[in-house]
Amino acid sequence: MEIILTLREDITVPVELDALLPEKMQDMDVEEIKNIEVPQGRTTVKVGEIFDVKVIESDIPKMTIKNSSIKLKRVGEGMTTGEIVIEGDVGMHVGAEMKGGRIVVNGNADNWAGQGMKGGELIIKGNAGNYIGSAYRGGYKGMSGGLIVVEGNAGHEIGEHIVGGMIHIKGNVGYFVGIHAKGGIIRIDGDVPGRLGAEMIKGAIVVNGKVSEVLPSFKYEGIVENPVIKIKKKDEGTKIEGVYHLFTGDYVNNKPKGQLYISVASNPHLG
Amino acid sequence: MEYIIKNGIVFDPLNKVDGEQMDICIKDGVIVESVSEDAKVIDASGCVVMPGGIDSHTHIAGPKVNTGRLMRPEDSYKDLYLKRGLKPGTGFSIPTTYKTGYEYCEMGYTTAIEAAMPPLKAKHVHDEFVDTPQIDKGALTLFGNNWMVMRYLKEKDYELCAAYVAWVLKTVRGFAIKIVNPGGTEAWGWGRNVHGLDDPTPYFGITGREIVRGLGIVNEMLGLPHSIHVHPNDLGHPGNWKTTIETMDCVKDIEPKPKYGERETTYYNAHVQFHSYGGTSWKDFVSKGVEIAEYVNKVDHVVVDVGQITLDETTTMTADGPMEYDLHMSTGNKWANCDVELETGSGVVPFYYSPKGPVYSVQWAIGLDIFLNTDPSKVLLATDHPNGGPFTRFSRIIAWLMSKKYRDYWLNEKVHKWARTRSSVGDNDKEYTMYEIAQITRANQAKVLGLSLERGHLGVGAIADIAIYDIGPEEKDPKVIERAFRYAKYTFKNGEIVVKDGNIVKEVFGDTLYVDVKIDETLEKELMKDLEEVFKKDYTVQMENYKVPEYLANNWKVIQIDNSEIS
Repeated sequence: MEIILTLREDITVPVELDALLPEKMQDMDVEEIKNIEVPQGRTTVKVGEIFDVKVIESDIPKMTIKNSSIKLKRVGEGMTTGEIVIEGDVGMHVGAEMKGGRIVVNGNADNWAGQGMKGGELIIKGNAGNYIGSAYRGGYKGMSGGLIVVEGNAGHEIGEHIVGGMIHIKGNVGYFVGIHAKGGIIRIDGDVPGRLGAEMIKGAIVVNGKVSEVLPSFKYEGIVENPVIKIKKKDEGTKIEGVYHLFTGDYVNNKPKGQLYISVASNPHLG
Repeated sequence: MEYIIKNGIVFDPLNKVDGEQMDICIKDGVIVESVSEDAKVIDASGCVVMPGGIDSHTHIAGPKVNTGRLMRPEDSYKDLYLKRGLKPGTGFSIPTTYKTGYEYCEMGYTTAIEAAMPPLKAKHVHDEFVDTPQIDKGALTLFGNNWMVMRYLKEKDYELCAAYVAWVLKTVRGFAIKIVNPGGTEAWGWGRNVHGLDDPTPYFGITGREIVRGLGIVNEMLGLPHSIHVHPNDLGHPGNWKTTIETMDCVKDIEPKPKYGERETTYYNAHVQFHSYGGTSWKDFVSKGVEIAEYVNKVDHVVVDVGQITLDETTTMTADGPMEYDLHMSTGNKWANCDVELETGSGVVPFYYSPKGPVYSVQWAIGLDIFLNTDPSKVLLATDHPNGGPFTRFSRIIAWLMSKKYRDYWLNEKVHKWARTRSSVGDNDKEYTMYEIAQITRANQAKVLGLSLERGHLGVGAIADIAIYDIGPEEKDPKVIERAFRYAKYTFKNGEIVVKDGNIVKEVFGDTLYVDVKIDETLEKELMKDLEEVFKKDYTVQMENYKVPEYLANNWKVIQIDNSEIS
């Protein structure tokens, strides 16, 4: 069953949609869906009051949000199966704590996308904010599985405390990519202004664009060609194509195993 | 208001009632012989009836608890308390004040003692007590690293030390003497620690032994209701069990002389699980719980609370500053610490006791070793909340103690194999009875705190703090036990129903207990001379700022002791 929610008009006070998971709404009819209460600011609102609801046949549990707005928060939070398609922008915490399934955002996403994600796929076609795949504020376990792809640019502190899974940003990013990383792989196709991998213990960061500088607490290991990235001992390894400067660190920690792969072609000033 | 609780199966160890079916009558907040016909009838047939629970060692209020709350937003976001008509709250291991009160009460608990109040921060502790509903509170006051105490004890001037302790307890409205890592927290101010009972602290040159013995003597001179409440040196270090026994042994010749209550012991060892470690490092770490239990069984002057590890993610917090620094260095977790001028220090570090961790599993087993081998009249149930685990896990601990099958399930399925090979939990067949559970959660606490005249029992004249659990006395299913003790069927506080079917139905505000000892006037004058000098020279506050004002409690319950003969 596919549920199509069309936002009637732009809203000013944010709405939290974590109650609207496609898997939960499979056995509901349109009236029931319209009557689901969701928080809006400090009050609640019924789904039917802000959305037009339509249900059509589909093989998988699916939800489509049309005319979406950045004021719609927590879309797909805790989702385990099915698919969510968002036409337009989406607010904070999209796909947070997600365990399975697939979310496609045909627009931009605000901060905290895929926070604490454990599995599944989150595809953002536009730009994304800060803290993608991070831990909850104050926590020390970020994204632990799954895949996040951002086709545009992203903000600061991508993959904060990441312990597993993969983040792929096709554009440029801000400062502190992979801060406190304890596993996982972060791929950046664009440029990084600096401070990447600060305090990382484990995991790998691959940058194909320009890196203005590498933290002095990283050790230069030389040039590698077409490396196979291994995070755990039993890991089969992820193969990447290209020629990279390899750094290890961050040596502010004891016995760090973090790896930075920085493209030689885009960074003649390093090494 | 009158109530009669009919046909409950009563467990009241202080009055030697062991599973008798009887009626309990309540009138005007106390338990009475009989009530009139207008009394409301509470049907408790098939249910267990016990006095309200007492937690004699918990960290629920004050600056270090608050620091824990501030530094751990992640502890708050998954445990929400959103019941209608009540104050909302958050926090799993360090719940907010209201949530603390409600959750204790849901479990049938009616009294809790905050285990570490720095005198200088007493106002903060009492301010949070005001906002902790449902339970009566008291605060153990830190003296083990206090400059005045160390100075007087070094000079062996027990009279002036006693006068000082009495003055502090009265001024900051404290309940008893708490000693944490004697000498060690002061040494931490110099970047060091002490490593045994006879290691002198820098500058003062006094040893842990002199502090513990000295304060033990002072405690009995003053006739305080509770004994000295000790967290010995070397907490959490492999091989520390010898220091623990040495510390217990060093006060064995001191006679208990309480002027209030019926205490028979002179030494309370807090969270003894953290002090029962064998081996020389984490690699050959073993349980010495049985040895500690044997010592405790042999002597008359000691009671212990266990500080059971519940294998949860929690937040450690203690006045043992150097130990928290070690913990931060070994885990890499965030850390906060504080030096309280002239008095004590503290540290806070989040901690995850993973069931898969070999060391944590042994720690869990050590607690059970102590429970299963100690005489149930000398051991108390506590998790050192939140250090060993949150207090909301008491019901799970009770299930472990009452069901060998449940213990074995954890031992074989859930925890690391070190727990089996390095402790004797697997060999022990003991299963706690309901009577023994009532002992370790209520009766022993009331007695050792000196509150057994009016609390922890169901005799005529006692405060009507009562818990009714929806469970049969012979129940063996751990799931049923855990559920029943987590959510009481009824909790009575001061003769009023405050919990029904596990839900808070009435918000009441408990009392704050403190001790006021009257001492000889000339002695007090002599003390004041010293104190004025110290406040002028060393403290950043004036003596007037130090006092805890009258308004900082919902209701003060003062224990008056006249002791003007000390001179």
